Amino acid sequence: MAEITLNNVIKRYGKTEVVHGINLDIAHNEFVVLVGPSGCGKSTTLRMIAGLEDISDGAISIGSDVVNDLPPRKRNISMVFQNYALYPHMSVRENLGFGLKIAKHDDAVVTERVNEAAEILGLDELLERTPAELSGGQRQRVAMGRAIVRHPQAFLFDEPLSNLDAKLRVQMRTEIKKLHQKVKTTVVYVTHDQVEAMTLADRIVVMKDGYIEQVGTPMDVFNHPVNTFVASFIGSPPMNLLPAVIKGGQVVFVDGKSLPVPARLAACVTEGQEVIFGLRPDDLTPVGHGIAESGDSARMTLDVVLSEPLGTETILYTSIAGQEAQGKMFGPRNVTPGETLEFDIAMDKAHLFDAASGRSVRVD
Amino acid sequence: MNRSLRKQVGAVATWLLTFLLMVIICVPGLWVVLTAFRPNGEVLAKPPVWIPENPSLNNFAKIFGYGADQVAIPVPAYFANSLIIALTSTVIALLIGMSGGYAFARYRFRFKNGLFLGLMLSRTVPGIALSLPIFMIWSRIGLIDAKMGLIIVYVAMNVPFTIWLIDGFFRQIPKEMSEAAQVDGCTRWQAFWKIEFPLAKSGIASAGIFAFLTSWNEYALASNLTRSTDSKTLPVGLMDFTAQFTIDWAGMSAMAVIIIIPALILTFLVQKHLIAGLTFGGVKG
Amino acid sequence: MANKRPPFWQREQYTPFLLLLPAVLTLLFVVLLPLLFSLYTSFTGYRLIRPESLWQWVGLRNYKRIFADGDFWVAFGRTIIFLTIALNLEFLLGLGIALLINKITWGQRTLRTIMMFPMMFSPILVGYQFKFVFNDNIGILNNALQALGLSDGAIPWLVDKYLANFSIIFAEVWMSTSVFAILLLAGLFAMPRDPLEAAKVDGCNPWQVFRHITLPFLMPFVFIAMTIRSLDVARAYDIVDVMTGGGPAGRTELLWTMIARVGYDNARMGQANAMAYVSILLSIAFTYYFFTKLLAARKYMGGAE
Repeated sequence: MAEITLNNVIKRYGKTEVVHGINLDIAHNEFVVLVGPSGCGKSTTLRMIAGLEDISDGAISIGSDVVNDLPPRKRNISMVFQNYALYPHMSVRENLGFGLKIAKHDDAVVTERVNEAAEILGLDELLERTPAELSGGQRQRVAMGRAIVRHPQAFLFDEPLSNLDAKLRVQMRTEIKKLHQKVKTTVVYVTHDQVEAMTLADRIVVMKDGYIEQVGTPMDVFNHPVNTFVASFIGSPPMNLLPAVIKGGQVVFVDGKSLPVPARLAACVTEGQEVIFGLRPDDLTPVGHGIAESGDSARMTLDVVLSEPLGTETILYTSIAGQEAQGKMFGPRNVTPGETLEFDIAMDKAHLFDAASGRSVRVD
Repeated sequence: MNRSLRKQVGAVATWLLTFLLMVIICVPGLWVVLTAFRPNGEVLAKPPVWIPENPSLNNFAKIFGYGADQVAIPVPAYFANSLIIALTSTVIALLIGMSGGYAFARYRFRFKNGLFLGLMLSRTVPGIALSLPIFMIWSRIGLIDAKMGLIIVYVAMNVPFTIWLIDGFFRQIPKEMSEAAQVDGCTRWQAFWKIEFPLAKSGIASAGIFAFLTSWNEYALASNLTRSTDSKTLPVGLMDFTAQFTIDWAGMSAMAVIIIIPALILTFLVQKHLIAGLTFGGVKG
Repeated sequence: MANKRPPFWQREQYTPFLLLLPAVLTLLFVVLLPLLFSLYTSFTGYRLIRPESLWQWVGLRNYKRIFADGDFWVAFGRTIIFLTIALNLEFLLGLGIALLINKITWGQRTLRTIMMFPMMFSPILVGYQFKFVFNDNIGILNNALQALGLSDGAIPWLVDKYLANFSIIFAEVWMSTSVFAILLLAGLFAMPRDPLEAAKVDGCNPWQVFRHITLPFLMPFVFIAMTIRSLDVARAYDIVDVMTGGGPAGRTELLWTMIARVGYDNARMGQANAMAYVSILLSIAFTYYFFTKLLAARKYMGGAE
C-alpha cells in the first residue's frame, strides 16, 4: 500500500518560501498529475517527495511512514527525470539493473527483472547498447524501465516528455498510461502541459506560485474551474475571460452589450457585482456549427477577425466588448476575415468569476 | 576569377603563417634535442655544425654516470626525487581537489564565490615571494632539504587549480545522474563512486597530469628549499651546470631532454580534457 | 516539528564545508600562515645570518628603505612594463593564432597539440632553451644570422640592455602565448553559428562581424586565459634566473629576481619580505581584476547560477 500524504509542506530557500504549506492526499495506485506554469513549485514538490530536496516544514508520508528524514534510497520510490539521467558509461542492461545490483539482489533476480521490464517496454533488442546509441524515445523507455524494475511503492515523473518532439510525445503519453494500467502503482507526474495532465491523470493538481489552486478529476477541473487562473490554464484554446458588471439580472459588458445571467448562477451573484464572464471557445459557436445545441443559449452578432482552420473545426477570432475572444466552428465552412456571423453562446456552460478575487462565484 | 585568386592567395598565406608559427614553436626545442646528441666540441664549433655529424648517446650516459667522462651531477638521484615529489604531491592534491571541486560543483552554500576567489588568490602568490617565509619556517621545523617539505608546498600550489579543473569536470555531469542513482538506492557516497567518478575520471586524470607537470617543472621554490641530493629536483639540478666555469651545453641539453620527455608525453595525453575543463569551469558559472 | 532539525538535513548543509576543509586547511597552513609570518618579518630587521634579529622590530623601515631605493623602483617599473608588453603580445598573438588555426581544416588537431607543448615546458627549460638560442657565441640565432649573411658580428642578445629585455620577453611570450591561443580556439569552436550568419545577412563585412560578434563572444575566454595567466606570471622568475640572473648589472632585474637576490644572496630577509609583499599585492590585484571581469562576462553570457 502506498498512499502519499503531504501535510502542510513548506519549502524555503534561505528566506524565500517557494512552496507554501501544501496539503495533498494521493491514494494507492492513483495517477496524480501536478500541473502549472514554470516556477509554480510543482517540481520542487515532486523532489521533496523523492527526498532530493529537504522539507523546510510539514510532513510527507509514503505508505504509513513519515519520510521527511529518509534519504531517497530508503523511500522505495523511483523517478524518471526530464533529461532521463541514464548512466552514460553503462549499457541499457546495466542501467536497468543498477538499482537492483545496489540493493544486492542475486544476479538471477536481476536478469529476470531486467528482462521482464525490457519486455514490457519493448527494449529486448537494445539491452547491450549504450545510452548514446539510443534515440530520444528509446532513452525515455529505458528511463521508465529503470523505474519499474525495482517494483517501487511509487513512480515519480518529472516532465518526462518535454525533451521529445510533438509526435513522439503523444505516443509516449499513451505508453505511460498503458504502463500504469499494467504495473499498478501510485504515480506522481509533473508537467507544464495541460494536455498531458488531462489525458493521463486520475486527478489533476493545478499549482501556481507555490500554492495548490485546485485538485480534481480532469473533467471536474475542466468543467468547474475554481478561479480564473485554472480556467485559463486548463483547456486549449484558453477560456475567454471578459470583464462585466451584474445589472438587473444581466451580465453587462464594458461596451454596454449584455447577456442574461446564467440561470444556474443567478443565486450566486449580487446586483452591481463586478465579475469576469468566462466562456470556453467550444461554447461560442456560429449558429448551426455547435457541438450540441444548448438548452440555455444566448445569441450575439460578432465580426470575425481571423480564422484558423484545423480540419474538424475552425478557430474564429472575434471580439466581444472590445476584448479578443475565440470561438469554434464545428463542421466548418470557409470564413473570410471581416465576415459577420451570428454566434450561439451556451449559457449553461458559461462561468462567472468575482472580478476582485478571481474566484468562481459558484464555489464561494 | 578574381575572387578565387584571392582565395588562393589567402590559403597560401595561411599556410605560410602556420609554417612560420610551427618553426618558432619547434626549432628552439629541436635544437636542444639535437644538441643532446652531439659531442660538446661540435656545439662550440665555428662555423656551426647544423646536423650532428656523429650523433651518440654519450651525453646521456655521461649524466647518468656511465661512460668515459662523467659529470659530477647526480642526475639519477635528482630524477628519483622529482618523480617521488611530483607523484606524491599529485596524488594528495587530487584527493583534496576532488573533494573541494565536488563541493563547488554540486552544492550551494554561503561564501561560495568568496571561497573560490580566495582559493584562486592563494595560487597567485608568486613562488619566490612565498618561498621566503616557507624557507624560514621550514628551516625551523627541519623541512629544508627534505622531500616532504617540497611535497607539502606543491600540494598547496596545486590544490586551487585542481579544484578549478575538477569543478569544471563535475559540472559537465548533470546533477540528475547522481540523483537518479540515489533514487535507485545509492547513498550519496555510492552515487559518487559508481556514477560521477567514473564519468569524470578522464577529466580528473588530466587534472592530475597537470598537477604532476606543475610539480615536475617547478623551480623557484625548489631552488630555495633544497640543498643536496636528498631532495634536489631536476630543474634545480639543471642549474648545477651553470655553476661550472664552462657551461657543458651538450650535457645540459641531455638533461633538458630528460625533463622534457614526460612533459611531451603527458601533454599529448591531456590536451583534449584540459581545454574542456578550463573553459567549462570558467564560462558556465 | 518546526524546531527539530533532523540530522540528515544538518549533514547536507555542512557537507560542502567538510568537503572543502582539507583544501582550506592546506592553504591556510602552507600559504596564509607563512604569508602572515612573512608580513611580520617585513617589519623586522631579520637577517638569515643573525637569527636573533627576527625579534628586532623596525616598523616601516624596510618599506621606507625599498620605496626610497631607486633600483627597486626600476625593477618594479620594469616588471610592470614586462607584464604589460608580454600579456598584450600574448593576447594578440594568441588571438591571431586561434583565428589562423580555426581556418585550417587539415591537420588542425596536430597543430593544436603542438601548440600546447610550450605551455607544458618547465619555465626553467624555456629559459635554458633561449639562453642557448640567444647565446652570442654559439646560439642558433646568431649562427643562423651569420650563415644567412645578415650579420657579421656576434649580436649580444643577452648582454645589451634592450636586446636582453627583448630576449626575455620573447621567451616569456613563447612559453605563454599558447594559453591564450588554446583557450580562444576553444571559444571559437564553442561559438554558435547563427549570430555569425545573421550578421552576414544583415550586411556586416568580415571585420564588422569579427568586431561586433566574434570578439564579444570571445571575451569570457580572454578573461579565463588572463585569470589563468595571472596565476603564474611569476614563473617568469625562472626564465630570467636562467637566462640572465637579472644581470648583467641589473639590466633585466624584475621584482622577483630582486626578492631572491636580497633575501637569499644578501640574506636580508626582512627587506626581501617587504618587497615580496609588494609583488604579492601586485599579483593579487591583477588576478582579482581579471576574475571579477570573468564573473561579469559570465553573467553577461547567462551562464552563472
